[in-house]
Amino acid sequence: MRPPSVRVLYIDDEENNLSAFKASFRRQYEIYTAISAADGLKILQSVDIQVIIADQKMPNTTGVEFFKSITETYPDPIRILLTGYTDIEALADAINHGDIYRYITKPWNDLELHNSIKNAYDAYKAKIDLRNKIAELEKTNDELNRFIYSISHELRAPLVSVIGIVNLVKLENMYNSSGEYWSLIETCSNKLDYYIQKTLQYYKNNKTVAETSEIDFKTLVTELIEVHAYADKDTQFTVNVVQNMPFKGDLFRIEVILGNLISNAIKYQKVNELNKKVNIDIEVGAALAEISISDNGMGILNEHLEKIFTQFFKSKVHHGSGLGLFIVKEALNKINGRIAVSSDVDNGTTFTITIPNAK
Amino acid sequence: MLIDDNEIDLKINAKLISLTKLFEEIIICQSGEEALNYLNKHLQNENKLPTFILLDIQMPEMDGFEFLNHYKQFSRSFTDTCPVAMLSSTLDFGDIQRAEANPYVIKLLKKPFSPKELLALL
Repeated sequence: MRPPSVRVLYIDDEENNLSAFKASFRRQYEIYTAISAADGLKILQSVDIQVIIADQKMPNTTGVEFFKSITETYPDPIRILLTGYTDIEALADAINHGDIYRYITKPWNDLELHNSIKNAYDAYKAKIDLRNKIAELEKTNDELNRFIYSISHELRAPLVSVIGIVNLVKLENMYNSSGEYWSLIETCSNKLDYYIQKTLQYYKNNKTVAETSEIDFKTLVTELIEVHAYADKDTQFTVNVVQNMPFKGDLFRIEVILGNLISNAIKYQKVNELNKKVNIDIEVGAALAEISISDNGMGILNEHLEKIFTQFFKSKVHHGSGLGLFIVKEALNKINGRIAVSSDVDNGTTFTITIPNAK
Repeated sequence: MLIDDNEIDLKINAKLISLTKLFEEIIICQSGEEALNYLNKHLQNENKLPTFILLDIQMPEMDGFEFLNHYKQFSRSFTDTCPVAMLSSTLDFGDIQRAEANPYVIKLLKKPFSPKELLALL
């Protein structure tokens, strides 16, 4: 089988070299020659060249200058520089700025040059293959993401119907009519809904580009507490927001971060604690916002502290989804935020977050 | 008037709403087209016209937003007396913003439908 033809462009101001090159390699490669950098550029514009060989010493534009000039416009072809032995400076320059794959000393040895062209073509192919693979993977990833999104919505629609039926049963005073069956259905449905909502949050965090808008932490935190404390009225919240300047950030992600942490602070209280407390302190500065959320809940075991941000890590005792803190971490990564946690089983847990002010 | 392609949701929500005793009659439509036909047919007959519409977003053929495009063609004398709330299981930020930006929509209610929220709204 004939190997695919490799298109090689050779630029040199000496006509003799061009013809010698052509004579030696025309059987193996598709050869294009140019007598100057300007001529070479013209060929690049019309032919899809894979390997470029350029002589360093040329009037007007040197080989390195030519390579530098095409790094943006023609990044794909692999470059080989031909230089005299003594031209160390040009070499250093070429390696540092010209994105050169090989240099060959003049006069060239046919075999050496032939091997270099072959290797250069392999490098070219690897580069293009990698790019195609990446594009393919991006596409698959995108489809997978969209699939998660659609399927989550499709799953949720009938689920909320079920929750609606349970609500109706409550209103018609039949909730306790079948022992605890209705309440079990309700618990399962809510749990399933929780998973679907987390999945959507995860999807959206992955997908959405950061959008900045002005954020008033006091309002935001008050709203979030209202939403999450809906089912639990025992917990006492102390919120202290110091915000004397505008803060700009990604509202969706900050909401996801604070929402998950607040809901955890409520969920992981000590069952027998009479005085359930959550403190939220926020201080907004010009560079960043510092947020601390601490509770007097059940705390996190020392050996678990490192794992709590990993996907699907759950503590054995208390059934979480294993997604909340993972999503918090992912969302923070997207907006260059940081999180630290300290916890002990006696005093509860404190999460400290910093989020850069994007103003 | 309830507009939703999902029969089960129509059944549940009609029942939930009738339990609130907020309305005398509930008109049930399984699509935007059916709702528009009904409205066009009874446009001259005030007694038959709804005073409140609960509209699903995701429906085949004509979705909630398309319905609204047709809805705004009706005369103000009718639409002013008949506010629209959207009711959807969507958690899509885009949908929510789009619904709330529409001048004919007074609120986007989330499924599962809560009679309490409806009471607060009216």
